[in-house]
Amino acid sequence: MSIDVPDAMTWAQIMSVMMWPLVACLVLPGVLVYYGLHIIRREVIFVDLALAQVATLGTCVCLYLGHEADDPHNYFWSLGFTLAGALLFTFTRPSKHARVPQEALIGIIYVVAAAAGILLLSKSPHGKEELQRTLVGDLLTVTPPQIGRTAALYAVIGVVHFIFRKQFIKLSFDHDHAAKGGWSVHFWDFLFYALFGLIVTSFVQVGGVLMVFSYLIVPAACATFLVNSLLVRLLVGWCVATLASIVGLYASFELDVPTGAAVVCALGGALLLTGIAAPLLRRCR
Amino acid sequence: MKTKFALLLGALLLATTAHARLNIVVTTPDLASIAKEVGGDKVEITTLARPTEDPHFVDAKPSFIVKLNRADALIEGGADLEIGWLPALLTGARNAKIQSGQPGRILGNAGVVMLEVPTTLTRAEGDIHPLGNPHYVIDPVNAKIVAAHLADAFAKLDSAGAEAYRANAKKFTDALDAKLAEWTAKLAPFKGAKVVSYHNSWPYFAARYGLTMNIFLEPKPGIPPSPAHLASVIARMKEENARVIIVDPYLNRKTAQTVARSTDATVVDVAQMPGGVKGADSYIALEDYLVNSLAAALEKK
Ligand SMILES: [Zn+2]
Repeated sequence: MSIDVPDAMTWAQIMSVMMWPLVACLVLPGVLVYYGLHIIRREVIFVDLALAQVATLGTCVCLYLGHEADDPHNYFWSLGFTLAGALLFTFTRPSKHARVPQEALIGIIYVVAAAAGILLLSKSPHGKEELQRTLVGDLLTVTPPQIGRTAALYAVIGVVHFIFRKQFIKLSFDHDHAAKGGWSVHFWDFLFYALFGLIVTSFVQVGGVLMVFSYLIVPAACATFLVNSLLVRLLVGWCVATLASIVGLYASFELDVPTGAAVVCALGGALLLTGIAAPLLRRCR
Repeated sequence: MKTKFALLLGALLLATTAHARLNIVVTTPDLASIAKEVGGDKVEITTLARPTEDPHFVDAKPSFIVKLNRADALIEGGADLEIGWLPALLTGARNAKIQSGQPGRILGNAGVVMLEVPTTLTRAEGDIHPLGNPHYVIDPVNAKIVAAHLADAFAKLDSAGAEAYRANAKKFTDALDAKLAEWTAKLAPFKGAKVVSYHNSWPYFAARYGLTMNIFLEPKPGIPPSPAHLASVIARMKEENARVIIVDPYLNRKTAQTVARSTDATVVDVAQMPGGVKGADSYIALEDYLVNSLAAALEKK
């Protein structure tokens, strides 16, 4: 008997289960990768982790107040908290004269938000489960409407970024000159973080804190290792995100392990490979 | 990989040769063990939760959706035990045969008298037992009700096997009846004895054997122990002379040990799922283990 039959079955099986997670992983990280390039350039790597955790804290408050996990209230609580966080980050931009580096504040916000979440969920009947869900999300059971809503939001944000690309890019990649340019740095910074907060809040609902962080930083880091121009970095980042997503989802199915965590580890693997390949590529040039 | 292919091939062969074999997915191992007794070799049983896993919080894995997608029937507890993880998987599985109301959706608790059904419930008050206590399978009398109900439900899905299912259920029930007398006798000397449990999952067991289990390390089902609550538990245990704490495999044994140290109590490892403790792989073996280890711990005190 040939092996082809089970093989074909396996592919059909994989798609029957993994189709929507795959669609989510192909469509949604696009904007995250782009933001990741900004974040790496701004050297505020842990801002996204902190913002994601603050978004989660909003969800925890909502659960604590007695709303169910899939209540729409959830999203607005989460968003409100994230916008407050964005405001905070706008006014603590890194400067050479700061007594306490911004990275320290970011770390503190992350840790306190995480701890406060634990406190709140310790009073919630499904707390243990929700706590884990905030980390690795519910990618396996993501629904088409959820993907649709998030993708629509990301499209709008993408358009805003495209229209004002000059301002945003100057702010991230040439901040000192932007500050001297005479236009309101704080306004654009806040817009940057507020849109970022929207992205993070929406993605946390699907993928959890760990996945948001990984999709933001890993593809952008890989691209920054490999190439120089912003546009090429974006393309390389998208390729890395796509490949790692496919590998992660396939591994999750084949090894039968939690999906979100598998994708995060696949992204980690991608960075490891890039770290090995990048010096070799440079030597070849 | 090889074993996987072999399994798949095997499944294919079985599917073509024994077309009548029902493919049944069960949420928890306790119900699965009864389903195996009743279904015998006419059914293929797949269990989702592992015996050592908290049945309230099961990690969703891709294979669960595949299994649910291909199931002829799904057996669930019926009292929201699986509410935290099953609904999303069912949406993903898109299997009309196991939608609620279908003959392929079997509720384990049909006919069981549920304990602790709340009269009012708000989520803020915290409870993961909204439809009454869902840990009912551990009472052998309930296991008999489950077996009879499963025989009926299987017969509905596969009328050719109806007689076999009822005969199997009878065999299982007879074996339980014989054992039940022995178990009751063994725990009879400890009537009214206090046993502290971590999670409130033992009221059916306590009621069956005349034990008193009204002290819990969790302040409310599903809410982790807080320092103040543990302090009050310790005080109560001393006052009421409770000297045995039972802990399921997925709960924090360290908490129980800490309480045991300050109360001079014994911690006993228990499980409600066959396979949750070593060597107790069937329903009867597990009940044997529970009765014997509790009797031993209560005797010591
Ligand atoms: Zn429970």
